[in-house]
Amino acid sequence: MNICDYACGTADHTVNRRLFLGGGAAGLAGFAGMTTPAAARELKSVQKRMLVIFLSGGVSQLETWDPKPNTDTGGPFRAIPTSVPGIHMSELLPEAAKRMHLLTLVRGINTKEDEHGRGATIMLTGRRTEPGLVYPHVGAVAAKLLTDKDAELPGHIQITPRGGGGFNKEDAAFLGPKFASVTLGDGKPPADLLRPATLTTDAEREAFRRKLNDRFAKSRRSAQTEAYTESYEQAAKVVARADAFDASREDPKAADRYGRHDFGRHMLLARRLLEQGVTFVKVSHTNYDTHHENFDFHIEQLGEFDRPFAMLLDDLKERGMLESTLVVVMSEFGRTPRINDRYGRDHWSKAWSVAMAGCGLKAGAAVGKTNANGTAVTDREVNGGHLFHTYFRALGMDPTKNFYPAGRPVPIADPKAAAIHEILA
Amino acid sequence: MGSEPPLRERIDRQIAAGLPNYDAIAAPIANDSEFLRRVTLDLTGRIPSAADARAFLADSSADKRTKLVDALLASPEYARRMQEIFDVLLMDRRRDSKVPRAEWEKFLRTSFAANKPYDELVRDILSSDGADPKTRPAAKFFLDRDLEPTIVTRDISRLFLGRNLQCAQCHDHPLVDDYKQEHYYGIQAFFNRAFLFPKADDPKAVIAEKADGEVNFISVFDPKKAQKTTPPAVPGWKPIGDPKLEKGKEYKVPPKKDVKPVPAYSRLAQLATAVTADENIAFRRTAANRFWAIMMGRGLVQPLDFDHSANPASHPALFEMLAEEFEEKNYDVKGLLREIAMSKTYQRSSEPTAAGKDLAEDRYATAILKPLSPEQLGYATMQATGLTDVYRTELAKKYTEEALHAKLASNLGPFRSLYGTRAGEPEEGFASTLDQTLFVKHGGHIRNLIAPRTGSLVDRAAKLAEPSRVAEELYLTVYTRLPSDEERRDIEDALRGSANRTAVLGDIVWAMLASAEFRFNH
Amino acid sequence: MVIDITKTRVLMDLKHGRPLVGCRFDSSGRYLFASSEDDFIVRFDLLTREKVTLAGHSSWVRGMAFVAKPTLVPAASIPSLAILGGLGATRKPTPFVLLSGDYHGNLLWWRGEEDQPKPFRTVAAHAGWIRAVAVSPDRAAVATCGNDQLVKLWSAADGRPLATLEGHTSHVYNLAFHPSGTRLVSADLKGNIKDWDLATGKLVRELDAKVFHKYDSGFGADIGGIRGIAFNAAGTQLACIGITNVSNAFAGVGNPLVVLFDLADGKPKLLKPKDAFQGTGWGVNFLPDGTVVGAGGGGQGRIWFWNPADAANTHTVTVPTNARDMALHPDGSTLAIAGANGNCLIYSMNQAPAVPPKK
Repeated sequence: MNICDYACGTADHTVNRRLFLGGGAAGLAGFAGMTTPAAARELKSVQKRMLVIFLSGGVSQLETWDPKPNTDTGGPFRAIPTSVPGIHMSELLPEAAKRMHLLTLVRGINTKEDEHGRGATIMLTGRRTEPGLVYPHVGAVAAKLLTDKDAELPGHIQITPRGGGGFNKEDAAFLGPKFASVTLGDGKPPADLLRPATLTTDAEREAFRRKLNDRFAKSRRSAQTEAYTESYEQAAKVVARADAFDASREDPKAADRYGRHDFGRHMLLARRLLEQGVTFVKVSHTNYDTHHENFDFHIEQLGEFDRPFAMLLDDLKERGMLESTLVVVMSEFGRTPRINDRYGRDHWSKAWSVAMAGCGLKAGAAVGKTNANGTAVTDREVNGGHLFHTYFRALGMDPTKNFYPAGRPVPIADPKAAAIHEILA
Repeated sequence: MGSEPPLRERIDRQIAAGLPNYDAIAAPIANDSEFLRRVTLDLTGRIPSAADARAFLADSSADKRTKLVDALLASPEYARRMQEIFDVLLMDRRRDSKVPRAEWEKFLRTSFAANKPYDELVRDILSSDGADPKTRPAAKFFLDRDLEPTIVTRDISRLFLGRNLQCAQCHDHPLVDDYKQEHYYGIQAFFNRAFLFPKADDPKAVIAEKADGEVNFISVFDPKKAQKTTPPAVPGWKPIGDPKLEKGKEYKVPPKKDVKPVPAYSRLAQLATAVTADENIAFRRTAANRFWAIMMGRGLVQPLDFDHSANPASHPALFEMLAEEFEEKNYDVKGLLREIAMSKTYQRSSEPTAAGKDLAEDRYATAILKPLSPEQLGYATMQATGLTDVYRTELAKKYTEEALHAKLASNLGPFRSLYGTRAGEPEEGFASTLDQTLFVKHGGHIRNLIAPRTGSLVDRAAKLAEPSRVAEELYLTVYTRLPSDEERRDIEDALRGSANRTAVLGDIVWAMLASAEFRFNH
Repeated sequence: MVIDITKTRVLMDLKHGRPLVGCRFDSSGRYLFASSEDDFIVRFDLLTREKVTLAGHSSWVRGMAFVAKPTLVPAASIPSLAILGGLGATRKPTPFVLLSGDYHGNLLWWRGEEDQPKPFRTVAAHAGWIRAVAVSPDRAAVATCGNDQLVKLWSAADGRPLATLEGHTSHVYNLAFHPSGTRLVSADLKGNIKDWDLATGKLVRELDAKVFHKYDSGFGADIGGIRGIAFNAAGTQLACIGITNVSNAFAGVGNPLVVLFDLADGKPKLLKPKDAFQGTGWGVNFLPDGTVVGAGGGGQGRIWFWNPADAANTHTVTVPTNARDMALHPDGSTLAIAGANGNCLIYSMNQAPAVPPKK
């Protein structure tokens, strides 16, 4: 537990809690200061969004962004040229390779954590697991910092390969359930979003509810009762926009382009949600935990990933959304350069890669290097903290500012790290 | 002492002293309906049945509120309510790992039913090593936290000392001068020699202890990086030094492979006494503050775990008095709750006077609107829709609180999972989230509860011909009050000419359940 | 010679040093070719113990086959390796062609007997991996298959494309010519086996080996495929090997299995290892007496022997490494294993006690 850590004692941290609660904490004005309509409007006009594509299980950096062909660790695949001279990718990503000029590769990641859960924590919270302290996931932070107060749709959505939907109150941590993710299991809308068939209309009972609340509010009201009654109005707005969750309303030609498989459908849904104004969408693609037959499995999984990923980049670009949408392709970690006796690769966090795009990041660049056979970072080593800083810098926020759960200052991003400035605009 | 007025009056006096012209500004005493609903929710976690409401409203005796409070405190539902509050408080809705929930709940429930002194309850919790099956349930606090030092230290300080020392782990607290790094490690030193035996992930693990080991810490602010240590100590009090033991006699049972060691001197055994000792006023302060907050909706010191000199109580003299009295009365929980419940301060209406409208809630001029806890909301919904009464009728002669609870428990699940906070994290402020609202709006659970069945609210109301009587049945059942004339007319209008009376009644009940008047304790 | 499978023992341990992928004996039985993760093919001369590295591929090779005139080295004239203290082949090399297919889709032609073979022809045969290569009994045609879901036939003489057989809907893992030379079978990831008439290029029938395939919904991926395939000499049976009962695709938790088809009625028989071994079967062959021999591995390796009549696993040999491929020597009593540890292990099944080969 180091929530204050080495940054403690700086001016930002000594902000008195009462002062903050009184609205005097200047440090927060940058993102919590949507108090004036003008500021809110301005933010809306440049509303930033973020898309995380999470390749669950740990995708191989060698079969994707940092190939080492014809070395003892390289495996059987080719490295192919990309649209950016001098930068190569694995042949398993032919479509992504054609769009390298839109991408930014970070090839020097060392997260020093080879366990799935803790690796995911590092990548999604920008911090290592600490007993007794839970940090909000990147999606919750993005939703908190970027979502317009008047937004009708939830700001933090994740699309999982299958399973139930629901509301995951864990991942917002101290930011509160408002910013917790809504999970669309297999891309299906949230539970109870759609009005049940037996309920033909709820106009009358809603009118009655409002009448009861109005009467109650005449003599008794508090911020909490207001928030409660308001939540029904907000829910009604989400229900009215249930279409936003329905990718089948997209052009069938788009569905063909993305691919008629689950991940294609989920990526198309992600595009739809981002277009509808959702701040943060995470799409998970399963699974890359290839302890056995790493190469066969990467052919299959990346074969599914490559095209929808490329299509989504194209669409965001074409619609002018890429400038304001940060796209990140991440995993818990990478995979061992060493190929095991079952043609597998195991967990490996010491030298791996992440791909990013959009939001003013330096496109067509690769930062960080690994050695000839990919066993160590040789240049510009970064960890989850650096990436977290970079995301929020790209999104126009200052990640060195604090949140104040229960009055205690907690920096948005790990103060031991800083943004990868070379790839920031 | 003998001539001193009862605590309830001294509370009122101190509260009144906290605001100039308090008597003129404060809300009037709540009417019977308001009081009945509020105190029933606070002390038993439920709303009264329509029959209870009718009976209480009809009772014309002068001491009916006293009788009500005594009856509620004597009821098994009181013990259940306290069990639920303290389970969430102590265990933060963690998943079970070592002590089964049922045994833990029973331990809490029987403790509160017997009105076990609160300090004794805390000593039970902080002294059980889990080895004796009879006292193992009390060890859940330690065992289900896996004795994880940062979490146990944080939670002991938060829950039993009223001070969250989490930020003092790496250095003296940056914002609170009173919270020192040595405080944090002084607490940790009580159990830094303890460990789970045979191993942490064994569901049957017990707490064992070594005879040596010190806590060491360095302040990250200290440029010299000087390493410090501390023996066990309750913050602000003299550290408890270890006795000198002859070499070779450190253990009653020396450590060996697969053998649980027993040290000649146990640091952990000092913890419970040290925390609840008379000299440690922090314990009684936070204890009294928590019971006050349960009833009043906020602590005299707020946040409840932020007791320090720069964050004074809203009513410092009252706070001190309450803590002293609680300790002097041998930590009599029911006694304290009874006095609070019978105070005018507690019994004020939640409708402010014109002058009291914009007052800060910590002046206690108007009753604070308290959102129902997940359990309260669940029980209230089941009572309001009639499920509780249906089950009660089904049980007939076999009725006991436990039997009824067993039938209701499964219906409580969705309320706990949707309205409860994150597992393993303390309850935070109120939030109304989309999933909760959709659950009420479209979810099958609420729909099924409202659906008519023999004896349920919609069923009962549908059988009444007179719209005004329908209105009475609805309002008494859901809101514990009689409808106003205007509200009677609303019901009449809604029912007039409707082809499907049951459907209309279902909609009305739904709207009432979804309303703020139902969602809050007021 | 007399084969006694219970006498199976290591005859030679040939070291390469980098993990091996595939292995084949040339038709004369003098050479063992092994392919490796370092993109090389190594040629072990069993007579001289000389090791030559064949450079030409830029990816891994699993498919290898030979074009050789059997008359030059009649099979019957090859005495047992063990009896001759190493080899029965003539010292003077007999010319032959090695064909090897790699994971970049290239099919390379080599003169296998040359001191330092170099590829003399390269055909970009498939888009993606070539997974298997076979030569027709009349030595006129070469068949290849791969991840482009195609089976292709080439002229062995000049590398001309002869035919493309379309119909598989997943990666084609293996193929084999029927001893009669009139038919070719190809087998894919999903466990579909197609039986092609070579005269017409038409699909004659399909055999169901879906027991080798599973879509692991937990991981969202397919696991399986026919990893080894062989006809018996009479052409009445077809054996396929792979992995089945997969409970965790990504950890490789499953059991090796041989499916033995009776070609008269197409009925399958399942040959299972007696032990509860977890792993993949990588190679299968028929011994001259009809015994089915399979090899494979998980953590370590195994060689299993089955009596095809009652499907009994009559004998099992533990191999100290994952056996990623198996080759049967033309003498019928010698096996080679391509080990994940970088070694080729040569096993003799000959009844005679092993005599260490002379240098």
